[in-house]
Amino acid sequence: MTSRLPSQAKGGFNFDNHVRNAAMEGKGAALPKATKTGTTIVGLIYKDGVVLGADTRATAGPIVADKNCEKIHYLAPNMYCCGAGTAADTEMTTSLISSQLELHRLATGRQARIVTAMTLLKQMLFKYQGHIGAALILGGVDISGPQLYTIYPHGSTDKLPYVTMGSGSLNAMSVFESRWTPNMDRESAIELVKDAIEAGIFNDLGSGSNVDVVVLTKDKVDVLRNYARPNERGVKEASYVFRRGTTQVLKTSIRDMVDIKETVESIATSTAMEVDAV
Amino acid sequence: MMSTVPSELPVTAPIEHRFDPYVDNGGTLLSIAGKDFCVVAADTRLSEGYSIHTRYVPKSVKLSDKTVISMGGCYADCLTLTKRIQQNMEASLVAPMWYRHAHGKTMSTAAIAQMLSIMLYQKRFFPFYSWCILGGLDEEGRGAVYTYDPVGSYEREACRCAGSASSLIQPFLDNQINFKNQASERRELSLDQVLRITKDSFTSATERDIYTGDYLEIFVITSNGVELQKMGLKKD
Amino acid sequence: MDALVSKYAHSSASPLDSSEGFSQAGFDAAQQFALPMFDIPMVSNPIDFLRAHTDPSAENRIRIQHGTTTLAFKFQGGIVVAVDSRASGGSYIASQTVKKVIEINPYLLGTMAGGAADCQYWERELGRRCRLYELRNKERISVAAASKILSNMVYDYKGMGLSMGTMITGWDKTGPALYYVDSDGSRLKGERFSVGSGSTFAYGVLDTGYDFDMSVDDAIALGKRSIYHACHRDAYSGGSVNVFHVKESGWEFKGNFDFDKLHWDYQAQPKGQIV
Repeated sequence: MTSRLPSQAKGGFNFDNHVRNAAMEGKGAALPKATKTGTTIVGLIYKDGVVLGADTRATAGPIVADKNCEKIHYLAPNMYCCGAGTAADTEMTTSLISSQLELHRLATGRQARIVTAMTLLKQMLFKYQGHIGAALILGGVDISGPQLYTIYPHGSTDKLPYVTMGSGSLNAMSVFESRWTPNMDRESAIELVKDAIEAGIFNDLGSGSNVDVVVLTKDKVDVLRNYARPNERGVKEASYVFRRGTTQVLKTSIRDMVDIKETVESIATSTAMEVDAV
Repeated sequence: MMSTVPSELPVTAPIEHRFDPYVDNGGTLLSIAGKDFCVVAADTRLSEGYSIHTRYVPKSVKLSDKTVISMGGCYADCLTLTKRIQQNMEASLVAPMWYRHAHGKTMSTAAIAQMLSIMLYQKRFFPFYSWCILGGLDEEGRGAVYTYDPVGSYEREACRCAGSASSLIQPFLDNQINFKNQASERRELSLDQVLRITKDSFTSATERDIYTGDYLEIFVITSNGVELQKMGLKKD
Repeated sequence: MDALVSKYAHSSASPLDSSEGFSQAGFDAAQQFALPMFDIPMVSNPIDFLRAHTDPSAENRIRIQHGTTTLAFKFQGGIVVAVDSRASGGSYIASQTVKKVIEINPYLLGTMAGGAADCQYWERELGRRCRLYELRNKERISVAAASKILSNMVYDYKGMGLSMGTMITGWDKTGPALYYVDSDGSRLKGERFSVGSGSTFAYGVLDTGYDFDMSVDDAIALGKRSIYHACHRDAYSGGSVNVFHVKESGWEFKGNFDFDKLHWDYQAQPKGQIV
């Protein structure tokens, strides 16, 4: 196998199990489900910068895997990135690009531009031909002003003033299409993002729970984690405290604690025991 | 006889496209039998894929003063099956001689239970995609729950949950209603306790199952008849 | 109005005309109850249709309940029938309280393995036919004849997806009788059978402990123990053990024994000699 070759390159993906897994899948064995962020993520450009928004539900098939996950990832001090699709892919891709941007900043001595991050992301995603299931909304502010991009899993990109992605993208876009205007003020921009995410939360089964918002301006970034919490869990009606003795006792065995006593005995030195003799 | 069709005309067989008449519309239902009551509960969300078709459509139908049927799965199949049960119990213009008109009385819960089994098995080779739970009172006035598989295997039980969140709720009911894994803890539950457990089952399932939510309808069947309670569930 | 009534009173609809036996116009007992009728999907190959929708890979899979250990054996005191009570749909335990011994009438018992609905339905149909036989012939049906009715009924549907492995037991003029009948069309007379996914485990215990001359209590204990060991090793068997004893006066229910309780009871007992 390639993994045994001494000259194998470090890093990247390991495909050792690919053929085996494909064969197992062909025989009907179900492979473990990856956690998906069947998601609503949005972004818009307003007067002073960019607002990004996301819901907080992560799903594994029909089951809610995480009720309050974070989908707005840090890339650089001046840019954040919302991720939809396979949770692991969005997290690893954004953190990888985040590292590259930091190295780029140190090498150039300049703040990274949004377009640089976009190019790094699309080149990586295109290289993997869609197998990295990451659908991203990239937003930030750099020397050329507020920027907003969408990046699809196959590597194509769009540059638009207001964007949505994920399974709730249509719900969110219907809110944007009816209410977005150029040069919105901060309050109404945040409110519009919140309403767009809530449209996804309530009408798309892949999205749910709370609204996360990040507002990026020229000199300030506000991370508004759980900006809105429209889905608080109700109070339980009954008490589920188990009485003492509920668990069946099958066997009882009581042991004494072991006493460890330390005593020092002097041993007469003998010549036969010389270890450090030259 | 001479054919008027030219023999050169190519004869082609009709093309059959894939026939896939089933769709899972999600939703969860449960029923719990008590000493002298029965509770039948179901959420009201109707969904397909990641979309909600409607937030309020009842999955349970009152069949008589003593019986309520609840169904989940393919909503089209459930509608048809419910309609046919009511038809057979009562009468319609099409079948004017069914149970009530032939026997002069309403069908008992046990009789409906057996009939439903046969109706499901009648479609053994083209099954209804439906999980059925029949709740009600038996001839002695005790709570009764009858549960079915899609082709009519049925059984009377103390409690049962079916539908999209069944694997989340059923273990909870096994523990709280049948006292599984609770040593020396067997007691008769009151209606109030059963209702609390029912509501908690659904609020909890709504947290983790994307196909359960919106509203909860609870039918309480006692000797006084059938009472319907409604409550809201989370809508995300 | 009269025209409307007469139109429906003498409906000429043949079974072929309607795919809905139940809600069909006009009630004709002879037609409704003489032969069971089944709705068939209107596709060129209904068998493939059913197979496609019950296959584990199907998108919206119809899970028919399966899985079992059942056994029955003859001995000097009659027949002991013992079964487990688990029903599973795929990997999900659908029920732990299934009645897998079907009481056809006070002298006949049937067991359930394979499709739960298939066994329940056809053994109920068998019960109805046995009753009709009694009414026509003024005597009880023999176990041989009853099992043959069942065998012939399901043989008509061979290859259409029925799944049934059952033992028909009872006491007739010839004494105790035991038959194995399945949906492939097999019908075997025998002394000792075990059917279902856990049958191999049950046979191991049953064959080891079997003796024709054993007492009734010992025979019941052997049946119980065989099912217990099958439940212990077979994931698709479990729940509890139901035991029946078939005697000259008809069958008698010998009790329901929770698997977990049996396990700890057996653990507490000294181990028996095998060799």
